[in-house]
Amino acid sequence: MIRWGVLAAVLAACVGYLALTATQGSAEYYQTIPEMRAHPAAGDVRVLGLVQDDVRRSEGGLHVDFTAGAGTDSMPVEYRGAVPDIFRPGVQVVVEGRLGADGVFHARQLQAKCPSRFTAAGR
Amino acid sequence: MAAFPAQAGSALLLAALVLAACAAVLSFQAGAAGDALLARVGRRAYHAAAVAVLGSTAVLVAALLGHDFSLAYVTEHTDRALAWPLLVAALYGGQEGSLLYWTLAMSAVGAIALAAAAASGTRLAAYATGFLAAITCFFLVVLVFVASPFDILSVTPSDGLGLNPVLRDGGMLIHPPFLLAGFSSFAVPFSFALAALLAGRHDSAWIAQTRRVALLAWGLQGVGLTLGMWWAYHVLGWGGYWGWDPVENVALMPWLVTTAYLHSAQVQERRGQLRAWNLGLVILAFLLSVFGTFIVRSGILPSVHTFAVSPLGPWYFGFLGVAVVVSGALLAWRSGSLRSERPLEAAVSREGAFLAQNLLLVTLTAAILWGTVLPLVSGLFGSQLVVGPSYFERVGGPLFVLLLALLAVGPLVPWRRAGSAWRRLLRWPLGTAAATLAALLALGSRQPGALIALPLLAGGLATALLEYARGTRFARRRQGGRLQAAGRVAARNRRRYGAHLAHIGIIVAAAGIAGSHFWQQEQDVTLRPGEAATVAGYHLLYLGPEERVSGDHRNLVARLGLGGEVLEPARALYPSLGGQSLTRVAIRSNATQDLYVVLAGSEDGAASFHVFVNPMVTWIWAGAALLIVGVLLGNLGRIRPAPLRGAVPRPGLAEPARALP
Repeated sequence: MIRWGVLAAVLAACVGYLALTATQGSAEYYQTIPEMRAHPAAGDVRVLGLVQDDVRRSEGGLHVDFTAGAGTDSMPVEYRGAVPDIFRPGVQVVVEGRLGADGVFHARQLQAKCPSRFTAAGR
Repeated sequence: MAAFPAQAGSALLLAALVLAACAAVLSFQAGAAGDALLARVGRRAYHAAAVAVLGSTAVLVAALLGHDFSLAYVTEHTDRALAWPLLVAALYGGQEGSLLYWTLAMSAVGAIALAAAAASGTRLAAYATGFLAAITCFFLVVLVFVASPFDILSVTPSDGLGLNPVLRDGGMLIHPPFLLAGFSSFAVPFSFALAALLAGRHDSAWIAQTRRVALLAWGLQGVGLTLGMWWAYHVLGWGGYWGWDPVENVALMPWLVTTAYLHSAQVQERRGQLRAWNLGLVILAFLLSVFGTFIVRSGILPSVHTFAVSPLGPWYFGFLGVAVVVSGALLAWRSGSLRSERPLEAAVSREGAFLAQNLLLVTLTAAILWGTVLPLVSGLFGSQLVVGPSYFERVGGPLFVLLLALLAVGPLVPWRRAGSAWRRLLRWPLGTAAATLAALLALGSRQPGALIALPLLAGGLATALLEYARGTRFARRRQGGRLQAAGRVAARNRRRYGAHLAHIGIIVAAAGIAGSHFWQQEQDVTLRPGEAATVAGYHLLYLGPEERVSGDHRNLVARLGLGGEVLEPARALYPSLGGQSLTRVAIRSNATQDLYVVLAGSEDGAASFHVFVNPMVTWIWAGAALLIVGVLLGNLGRIRPAPLRGAVPRPGLAEPARALP
């Protein structure tokens, strides 16, 4: 059994090391808009916000500009790509990307929070 | 009069709670005293509780079907326009209803398992009833006092609030009930494990009882996971089926741990080893399923899914805490007597292969758990950190590769102590893997992941087929033709050959996952009517837009010509639901790849398409089906019990593979 203990320890050490480096390599901050302004991160971040009413679509719907709000704070967001179905004003989105020098958040990814419940949205 | 269903439903739930509480008290007493009569009374009380839960579920379903909007639950989750299957689906669509469905599934599976286990010894069966009844009590307390599906509205509205269109889909009808039933069923093997600990029964008796229940929970969960992937792929329109979202991860973890248990249980059945480990796996699977429910219900993790953030979070957390303490204490108390009758004889043996597989699966689960709870852990020290799919791919990838290698070699290794003869058999999987690698290289594939995964999978397939061939050849030496012999062998060793079929299913599904992961292509194209584009060899001609009205929504269809066929990706607009729109993906599947077209948007007559080419996705669904068929064939009905550990196989019934070196 000692041999198996050693094997398990070696496996755990390898995977632990792998998990640690992979975490360092791919972890991103998950912040609200005020948090992001208070602690600007060097790399990409994920920011949670509420889509405001000023959604502008262009390029056949493959490009959107909108304002994401959180409480009293807000930021302009720009995203290129297909947007999720439930994306529209009033929906919570998680945008992944970084805040540019122009003050616009350039999103690499945009996910709308999907309702897990069978409830009607938007009523 | 309008309040009648509510009162009946509440009364039935209360009755179920009282009955389950009685069942728990009586059964623990019966277990302590070894009183068979009292144990039977306790079991009957549990069965009565299960019937009461069934009754209250029937009341809720009747209220949903009858549009009884005096019930808050009915108003919040349905409206008059919904078709009846979706009305029934609303049973598990909301917080309270899904909790009721959960309790129903658990008590139904539990009632059957307890009835089947009655003969396995008074104390074991009584304690199992006691633990299961106690767990059922927890859910009934929540249902009766915290989140009742039978709350009445002060004013009865004329219509309900309706159902989100994303969820109005056939997949939604069948995916949640399987997953919820799977999640809840893990409580049953857990109860048997705790009962075995409390009764001091560490022999194989509890394994025989627990294995089939664990298999049932595992099967339900597996079907639920597959249907969830299928639904995400066909409905959500992002071109994939698995996103490593916390909700998906917490459903996967108990399934992985139970996969480990189903293999290591055989070591205990055959050799009497790994007892404490097996108990630990069953307990861990249940704790992970409760943890998953806690995550889902409390909404404490950032996820794409918005959860019904509810007052239930602390309840689940408390329940999880109690379960951890009780099972930990029992394991510690019995740890002295859980030692194996004998140690593993050799590392290179079937036992060793099972143990290695177990270590890999548990490590994989730990890695997934770390990636899932990282936001919580990092949140304690400052800003929340999240990891994306790349974390899971980098950590999980090497573990998957090792598991696939083990799948190709493990089934060939003999029990106890492997001589050198079995190594000759390795030439089959090794040869097949080498040939596959050569073929992939010749076809021009340079994707390292695919070059590792697919040859290993081919080797695994060769091993499974080799096992069938060896069994048939052995049987033929005795008598009869090849087909007869194959049939006879398979019938006599259903569990073994069912397992090989399940392995083939895993291999086919894994090949689909590897193929679609490594070889997916995607491209955005914007076309005006009459314009064409070629994506990955598919020549797509935009024929033009078309608008179709159906029911409460409008479909904007963009017709795409592909050879003689017309693809119709569309967006459905629901003006009544605040202008929400829904993608209708156009998928053209064949055995080797899916063409997957999403209508991203349209402007000034031009339409934008997001086109994916997803290789081998159909293999995933086919593989999952094979896996289920294999498990069913191997375990349905009465199975000749596996030979007791250490027993010498009787000459006439010797299993072929064991008679070989």
